[in-house]
Amino acid sequence: MNLKQVSRLTLILFFCLFSTLVYAKKNLYLSLSSKSSKASIGLSDFVPVNGYFEEMDMSKTIRDVLESDLLLSGHFNVAVSDTSYKFDLDKQFEYWAPKDISVLLTGKISIENAENLNLEVKLYDAESREIIWEDTYREKVSNYRYLAHKINDEIVRRFTGEEGIACTKIAFTNDSTKFKEVYLVDYDGYNLKRLTKDNRLNILPKWIPNTAQIMYTSYLYNNPDLFVIDILKNKRRALSTIQGLNSPASFSLDKKFLITTLSRGVYPNLYILDKNGNVLRRLTEGKHIDTSPAFSPNGKEIAFISDRAGYPQLYIMDMDGVNLRRISTKGNCDSPSWSPQGDKIVFTMKYDDDFDIFIYNLSRKRVIRLTENQGSNENPSWSQDGRFIVFSSTRSGKSEIYIMKMDGTETRKLVDMSGNSFTPSWSHSL
Amino acid sequence: MKKSLLISFLFLCLLVSACAKKQTVAPEENFDQAATELSNEEQFAKEPSIRGVEVEREVALETIYFAFDSSAVSDRFMDTIKNNVKYLKDNPKANVVIEGHCDERGTTEYNLALGQKRAVKVKELYVQLGIKPKRIVTMSYGKEMPADKRHNEAAWAKNRRAETKLIK
Repeated sequence: MNLKQVSRLTLILFFCLFSTLVYAKKNLYLSLSSKSSKASIGLSDFVPVNGYFEEMDMSKTIRDVLESDLLLSGHFNVAVSDTSYKFDLDKQFEYWAPKDISVLLTGKISIENAENLNLEVKLYDAESREIIWEDTYREKVSNYRYLAHKINDEIVRRFTGEEGIACTKIAFTNDSTKFKEVYLVDYDGYNLKRLTKDNRLNILPKWIPNTAQIMYTSYLYNNPDLFVIDILKNKRRALSTIQGLNSPASFSLDKKFLITTLSRGVYPNLYILDKNGNVLRRLTEGKHIDTSPAFSPNGKEIAFISDRAGYPQLYIMDMDGVNLRRISTKGNCDSPSWSPQGDKIVFTMKYDDDFDIFIYNLSRKRVIRLTENQGSNENPSWSQDGRFIVFSSTRSGKSEIYIMKMDGTETRKLVDMSGNSFTPSWSHSL
Repeated sequence: MKKSLLISFLFLCLLVSACAKKQTVAPEENFDQAATELSNEEQFAKEPSIRGVEVEREVALETIYFAFDSSAVSDRFMDTIKNNVKYLKDNPKANVVIEGHCDERGTTEYNLALGQKRAVKVKELYVQLGIKPKRIVTMSYGKEMPADKRHNEAAWAKNRRAETKLIK
């Protein structure tokens, strides 16, 4: 066994240990470079099948989106070439050889009737020149970004066994209309869209797990009701319209149960509702605040905020309301969100002057700080792979949406827009 | 006697909430459980709805202000409470909504709950001083409707408030 084989084996073992998905998925190409934790991908321009200018133009456009996706994933280094597609395959590999890539993506692109986009891609092992994966994608030309995102997610899945995040969106609110409305944007900041046009208060948008539906709190009918908007059908419905607060809320991953804060003329406490908004039972009681519920991924526990100690602290209890544990010991806490793997809770805490993002590690029982001295940082929400966190921050002087890695590094602003943006929520793949 | 009072009270509540719903959105209220089973707290909880009803935007009654992150009505504002109660006693047909508000320094979710807690504290005082709970709606706007949009202590002090408004 030579050194290369050993390192390859080590990497495979690494992924088996840390990525439980590896066991479930086939056809994985687990060959990240042994020099760093990132694999290097060569992206060649795609061959224009009909030789149209539009095809060449679209080839570069899609490659740019894909390059951005691969870099944002944090799994890859990317090298691009505008010329190599003109060569035959052997020449291509000679061209790429000195660039030290581990895999090469090539493709053939065609556009029919100016609207149907066809892209045939092949991913090669740069050393053995074997085809690792090939597929054909068909989309409307206008969906070119989505097409690139799908290719990225397939490459990510083949290298890591995890689902990529390029086909996800982020819902948030913005006050530039002087009211608050719900907006939607791709995970990379493109395709910004306003969802509600009520000229009223619409706040706290939150994705219903594994759906294209967003629940949010609306004052449309003069009461903070819970509404659901379906972004594919472009329809909305009322989910919970009990007198008083119907917010904030959290759906269980299986979508059978909804926990929400209800007031009903008294103090805000937590209740469990069925998926249609019918109250099943009351979870907490008392002349204090219990709010901001978050289901654990296995649906057995609930993280929430209570001021029963005199100030808002983070608690966990079982779904039936017993086995209550206080997690935080200081500060003002809010907005807990359980990581997709179930091992961490991200939340916001005001410890000194501003709110900052913290992670509570459940097995180590330790709190780690992610943001510091950069304005107020609030409302964290996980990416579906648990590697990134979207949140709002006032670091630029106004409230805007940012994404960072879950260790607090590589922060980027999601989108530039007027007004203040708040309370982001990250979708699953759409 | 006690039971008949209870039943007539609940009937009134149902009547008020039924009248108030001009524009309804499905699903309807979920708390229409058997009348006799309700505890005191549940009776209190059976508050009327102003869903779809216009609210007089002019504040006819006096505003109560709160300390940071507090829902306690300080002694300073007990006279304000008494003045508002007097108005409600002098105008027995007036129904009100108590809107609870917060300053911008807390989080969105917690402030929604804190605004509700402030509104309920004021409601409790009105009820203790003899106003029937069925005349009172509580509503939280969290930090979403500041009275003063500036970002300083003077503005924050004005924003931590409970406004009692007449329902048209």
